[in-house]
Amino acid sequence: MLFQISRRFVIIMLLTTLGIAGCSSSSNGGSGRKSISLWHHQTAGAGPGLIQQAVDRFKVRHPEIDVEVVAINNDAYKTKIKVAMGAGNAPCIFPTWGGGTLREYVKANQIADLTPYMTHDNYKDRFLDAAFTQITFDGKIYGVPIENTSLAVIFYNKAIFQKFNITPPQTYDELLKVIHTLKQNGIAPFALANKPKWPGSMFFMYLVDRLGGPETFAKAAAHEGGTFEDPVFVEAGRRVQDLVRAGAFQDGFNGLDYDPGGTRALLYSGKAAMELMGTWESSTIKGENPDFYNNNLGFFPFPAIKEGKGDPKDIVGTVGDNFYAIASTCKTPDEAFALLQYMIDDTSVELRGKAGRVPPVKGFQPDSPVLQQILQLVQQAPNVQLWYDQYLPPSVAEVHKDTSQALFALSMTPEEAAKTLEVAARNNKE
Amino acid sequence: MVASPSHLRRSHSIAPLLFLLPALVFLAVFVVWPIVSSIQLSFYNWNGITATRSFAGMENWKTLLADEIFWRALRNNIVIVIFSIAIQMPVAMGLAVLLHRGGRALKLFKVVYYFPMLMSTVAIGVLFKALYDQQFGAINPLMIRMGLPSFAQDWLGDSRLALFSVIVVICWQFIPFYMILFLARLMSIPVELREAASMDGASGGQYFWRVELPQMRGILATAMTLSLIGSLKYFDLIWVMTEGGPSHATELMATYMYKQAFSSFRMGYGSTIATAMFAIVMVAAMTVTAVAQWRRAEAG
Repeated sequence: MLFQISRRFVIIMLLTTLGIAGCSSSSNGGSGRKSISLWHHQTAGAGPGLIQQAVDRFKVRHPEIDVEVVAINNDAYKTKIKVAMGAGNAPCIFPTWGGGTLREYVKANQIADLTPYMTHDNYKDRFLDAAFTQITFDGKIYGVPIENTSLAVIFYNKAIFQKFNITPPQTYDELLKVIHTLKQNGIAPFALANKPKWPGSMFFMYLVDRLGGPETFAKAAAHEGGTFEDPVFVEAGRRVQDLVRAGAFQDGFNGLDYDPGGTRALLYSGKAAMELMGTWESSTIKGENPDFYNNNLGFFPFPAIKEGKGDPKDIVGTVGDNFYAIASTCKTPDEAFALLQYMIDDTSVELRGKAGRVPPVKGFQPDSPVLQQILQLVQQAPNVQLWYDQYLPPSVAEVHKDTSQALFALSMTPEEAAKTLEVAARNNKE
Repeated sequence: MVASPSHLRRSHSIAPLLFLLPALVFLAVFVVWPIVSSIQLSFYNWNGITATRSFAGMENWKTLLADEIFWRALRNNIVIVIFSIAIQMPVAMGLAVLLHRGGRALKLFKVVYYFPMLMSTVAIGVLFKALYDQQFGAINPLMIRMGLPSFAQDWLGDSRLALFSVIVVICWQFIPFYMILFLARLMSIPVELREAASMDGASGGQYFWRVELPQMRGILATAMTLSLIGSLKYFDLIWVMTEGGPSHATELMATYMYKQAFSSFRMGYGSTIATAMFAIVMVAAMTVTAVAQWRRAEAG
């Protein structure tokens, strides 16, 4: 009876498919309640709790508003937010590093202008001035600095330094000697997770800054009076490769992922002695391994290069990392901004300090020596260079990360890497 | 069949169409439309987030032809095609024959060997990433214990090794699939053939080469086509394990497309890569099918 199909059955089939199509369009329908979606990538250590406590306090005062908090791993977040933006499904509140990527969103009218909120009652005076450079475009502010002040510094295991009688190096030549000593004693000098490429880029950025000063990069990036083929970039690439050849990094660094914490495990276990990383890591370590944080963790700024033009007090990093922006598609921007204010009010600032962070607000007095040292570094720094991969326009940033990883893999010469980056920058400009 | 002719004709014309409708709608919305729209996008400059996009003519295509990384990705894809077919087919065939001859005694292995196919690719990727890890992985200590310290390598971080490390995992993942395919075909070969062959005094080897293998020609062609297409558009495992790195050593067309479209904000160029990929896969699949058909016609 193959061909005898009950008509009722056919109708049910059709209705079912229509029903499925119908459901998907109605689920977004308003229930009358206001809601705010908040994405963040504070997945390690005290991070999730810091967000949640602010959200909880906000909800007590605004019970009529639903807040949906979504935590996403750092590297996964970077693509997820892009896809959401392109599809017009951006969350109300989301973190940003500022710089080139944020600018791209601003140009596409995807970001709400927060200037009126920030200037209301001079709210912006609450924050460090340096916190606004990466989120201000054409005089308008597009983000709120909240999480931390993150500077790239060299973390080290104090016990290992003591054991081999090493003091934190002041100059690059001393650093090379430290690397040699550690290597000879069977300890990987640096732990490096270079699969995501940006950790290795920190070495390159510091070398460029110490050799040529911040202008070299600024001019090349802006295409005004400079190029990425400048001898400084070539020399920085050469020095990166010298480090690799000298065995300054643990084996397998180009395949190691950062997010799962492989480099920290190397530090904890004493297999590696140092790591060049953003100071957010001290907060992560405090949450993850308080014992190591209290007894063994030290850090020093990237050493000076004598023959270089850069000021050794210059820092690579970001003040305000991360910033939070509000999407222009957000239906409840006023409430969203109010929620952001909870995330950086006095209670939040205090909790962030306790969690080992340096929130970018004026008058913050940390009680831990580690945080005091971070604060001191940023206050002394004549210039804070934002991470290249955030500063540059996205397509150029990708090429920078690729060439940086290729330098570490010794699969590209410094000249080739410089040329490739310059071509990408030029193409982007056209 | 007792249905009246008129009834038969009517249900013939409407009912199949109605049943196909949901699938057709689904295909049109989720397959045909995206393909057409990415072909169209390949002629535009678009960053993927602005409301407007500008027509670029052939510019993206010119860039693609001169893009060394794309050609490198294509070459990596071809390496994966070759190794996938050269390793997966014989091993899967060997296992299938073994399990078939072993009968009930090896029943347990039929299930065990199929396990990799039951795992999600992401889980496999994470698992092998952990195994391969230079510092904390299980493979290197094992090599050293076995007295092969030169085989303790930076499996995923070394540009020269990474692609082959990944190919091993791809094979591990897909051999069970082809094994089951071959096994199913082996089991459907009539017992009479086996009996006739043994009466004629054929050895086990002769039976395989002269009887079983010729019977499997069709399924082998299908398996190879599947492997070819799968390898050309491969993405997930590579993305989890290496993201195409280090420095493009394991870059595939699909990973490169993803990076251009979503990390570099070049949706137009990403679409160009996608369209090129579509064309390459299409031509390859059609060629293989045509060759298979031609040989069948030749033989038959």
